[in-house]
Amino acid sequence: MATAKKDPKKSPTGTKTGTSAAKAEGAAKKTSEPDDAAARVAVEGFADSIRLGTESSAMFAKAGGLAVVCLAVSAALGASEGDGFKRWSYGYIAAFGVALAITAGSLFWVCLQHLVNAKWSVVVRRIGELFAANMPLLAILALPVVVPVVLGNGVVYEWADKTKVASEEILKHKSGYLNPGFFLVRMLFYFGFWSILARYYLNSSRRQDETGGSEIAPTMTRVSGPAMIAFGLTITFCSIDLFMAVEPRWFSTMFGVYFFASCVLGVHVTLILTLMWLQRRGRLATTITTEHYHDLGKMLFAFVIFWAYIGFSQFMLIWYANLPEETAWFKQRFFGGWGAVSWTLVFGHFVIPFFGLLSRHIKRSKALLAFWCFWMLAMIYIDMYWLVLPAINVEPDVRAMDLLALLGLLSALVAGAAREAGKKNLIPTKDPRLEQSLAFENI
Amino acid sequence: MSDSHEPQASESGPAPLHGLLAEYTTTGDILRASKKVRDAGFSRWDTFTPFPVHGIDRAMGIRMTILPWIVLGAGLTGLGTAILLQWWTNAYDYPWLISGKPLWSIPANVPIMFELTVLIGGVTAFIAMLVLNNLPMPAHPLDQVKRFARATDDRFFLLIEAADPKFDADATRALLDSTRPHAIESILEDRKTSDKLPTGIIYALVIATVASAVPFALAAKARYTKSRSTRIHLIQDMDAQPKYKAQRENPVFADGRSTRVPDPETVAVGELHEDDHFYRGTQNGAFARTFPPTFRVDETAMLRGEQRFGIYCTPCHGFGAEGNGMVAKRAEELAQGTWTPPSNLTDQRIRDMPVGEIFNTITHGIRNMPAYGPQIPTSDRWAIILYLRALERSHAAKIADLAPAERTGL
Ligand code: HEC
Repeated sequence: MATAKKDPKKSPTGTKTGTSAAKAEGAAKKTSEPDDAAARVAVEGFADSIRLGTESSAMFAKAGGLAVVCLAVSAALGASEGDGFKRWSYGYIAAFGVALAITAGSLFWVCLQHLVNAKWSVVVRRIGELFAANMPLLAILALPVVVPVVLGNGVVYEWADKTKVASEEILKHKSGYLNPGFFLVRMLFYFGFWSILARYYLNSSRRQDETGGSEIAPTMTRVSGPAMIAFGLTITFCSIDLFMAVEPRWFSTMFGVYFFASCVLGVHVTLILTLMWLQRRGRLATTITTEHYHDLGKMLFAFVIFWAYIGFSQFMLIWYANLPEETAWFKQRFFGGWGAVSWTLVFGHFVIPFFGLLSRHIKRSKALLAFWCFWMLAMIYIDMYWLVLPAINVEPDVRAMDLLALLGLLSALVAGAAREAGKKNLIPTKDPRLEQSLAFENI
Repeated sequence: MSDSHEPQASESGPAPLHGLLAEYTTTGDILRASKKVRDAGFSRWDTFTPFPVHGIDRAMGIRMTILPWIVLGAGLTGLGTAILLQWWTNAYDYPWLISGKPLWSIPANVPIMFELTVLIGGVTAFIAMLVLNNLPMPAHPLDQVKRFARATDDRFFLLIEAADPKFDADATRALLDSTRPHAIESILEDRKTSDKLPTGIIYALVIATVASAVPFALAAKARYTKSRSTRIHLIQDMDAQPKYKAQRENPVFADGRSTRVPDPETVAVGELHEDDHFYRGTQNGAFARTFPPTFRVDETAMLRGEQRFGIYCTPCHGFGAEGNGMVAKRAEELAQGTWTPPSNLTDQRIRDMPVGEIFNTITHGIRNMPAYGPQIPTSDRWAIILYLRALERSHAAKIADLAPAERTGL
């Protein structure tokens, strides 16, 4: 699969990343088509910087190790509670929400770039593709959530427990949708569909790296239309199934969009931080410029507002109508300790980052942008925590096992992406729009 | 312009120099030229390109615009205006309770806060952008320059104004020459275009200003005068119908009234309520002690009664008819002192009460209890009484009433 192996004209895989650049240069010069984008990549000395090389396996080992340790310790702490993993599961689901937001968000983002034929983002797109390709990994990480449901264990999702369902009219009424069998079918469908789509985008994009086929980009664009519709539906229902169904008596038709806001925030945070890390490691040093960060920052800013818009819309409809079956959910979150968390979200997830990210200078400053990315990452987690945990805790109570689960899942994503990146290109070198992306400037 | 001194002197001679225009064929050229002019320290100069050229801001040394600050200020003004507006109209000037929310309720105000922030921010951005760019500019000396037309097509221009303190006809031309332009042209002041507003526009503005006062004048007049004529009714809808409404004058009848009193002894179809027992709960002038024969006492009636009782009576009297419904409980909680509690309907007094009297109470209400006759159909009223009787019976149940099997279950 690797470029170097398939192309007989190239020298065998070099030991240093530097040689791969030389090869790319050679390949670019040989291509007869006027694809000077690739040539630019090779010639203008991005050379040694567009691959992770050996760093990939090192990162995989480090992050993967951390993930395993964190998740194991978290699970051990969960077991020590002696409640059949009940408390642990809630914390895990909240953390899983963040991981899902990042991964599904990446898939959405890649799809979006193709849909609108985006040019500025071409140099960033491979990173999104890599994170989206974590989907199968995420499906495995979803097992602690899905398996108990399938076994009819209702510790978290009450509707999984037949006796509980039989005893309550509301659960009985909803059991046509909320039942273990159908839940499993849906989960298989969501993660199956996302995995295939993510793999399709990564593979097509890499095939383009090799062959430079000019038909590949338009095909990806054509796929992205229907894929986007399917994504919209799957992310809506998946978030309802995984997070809203924690409290099966409550419902909100806006829940899917609300989670989607986290997805889009998640992907931009991930892209920005990953690019910064890569650049610090000397990768893509000149390829990614302030202009790209600026645009990513704008999207981050826009979706800070989007989150508030959706969050408030959901709240206001429920608050205004004041129907007991809907308000109960907010009541639980608006008083006592959870009330403080709600206010933290209002200010920390919206007001403060709104003013924080408003200025162009901030979005163009790496250090400040990085600060806001970490800030928003924390907020995405607090948001998920606030969605899920009040179902079990009357007062907020953060445990080490919750945070370890989060750290474990995030490390797993990093490990997955690093492994997938392998020794291959970190930018789609033969994308027909690459030239424009390299030269991109905000007016 | 008779009082303007300078141009007047040369009005007849050749027009004074406005500036020097250099033409370039590529973006690279104009960028290089801009840097040179910038470094030479000029301040009154500009470039003209058919499309936004990347990096021209830096090449020209243009400082960051203050537009964002203006928009921020406008946005915050919109926000503040929205809050004040809603506070003043809804909570202060004309307090109006909506949906039981507080008079001044921030969540309810948020949509307007958002809208006004965006509206005033957006409109200000648009206007301020024009103003900061010196737009609209009806005429400019460059309009007279033929080659300048290509600034919207494929050429790039750089103009240094003669008004620039650093401007010196020869030295500046030499500077521009050194940027290797495609051409250099001296631009003269525009003598063709008058700088006066066209009279047509002046008249139009005056008329528009005067006309815009008319609606206000009319509104003011309407506020302080009285009129006997009907209001202006632009959209008729179904307002005017060829029929006589209750209180209208009617020329057909001698007394001129539209509403007619029915002839004595008239009875509408189906409204002949002859059966005193059924319709009034009385028999020979006294409250009946039995259910009327036309009312069938069976299980259907009992179930109907239970349901209707649940709907109409439980809010006050409670599900057990003990006078402890939600309304009663809430009233007690408020403890305002004016509340008459609903009766406990399982009291011996009510149990002894003839069914006809209870029927009468439901129909006409009693003291603090409103009349339910207009709401509850006659047979339903009897059904409610039937159910009430069953409730009363259940309150007086004794252990002996139960079947032996049920007794052990207790
Ligand atoms: C809005 C509250 C309210 C509702 C609804 C209501 N009641 Fe009453 N009812 C009262 C109050 C208050 C009294 C006591 C009046 C008093 O003593 O001033 C009362 C008294 C009575 C009495 C006793 C009258 C007496 O002679 O002392 C009867 C019988 C009764 N209600 C039957 C009913 C039935 C049957 C219904 C359902 C159709 C009903 N009520 C619905 C408020 C209510």
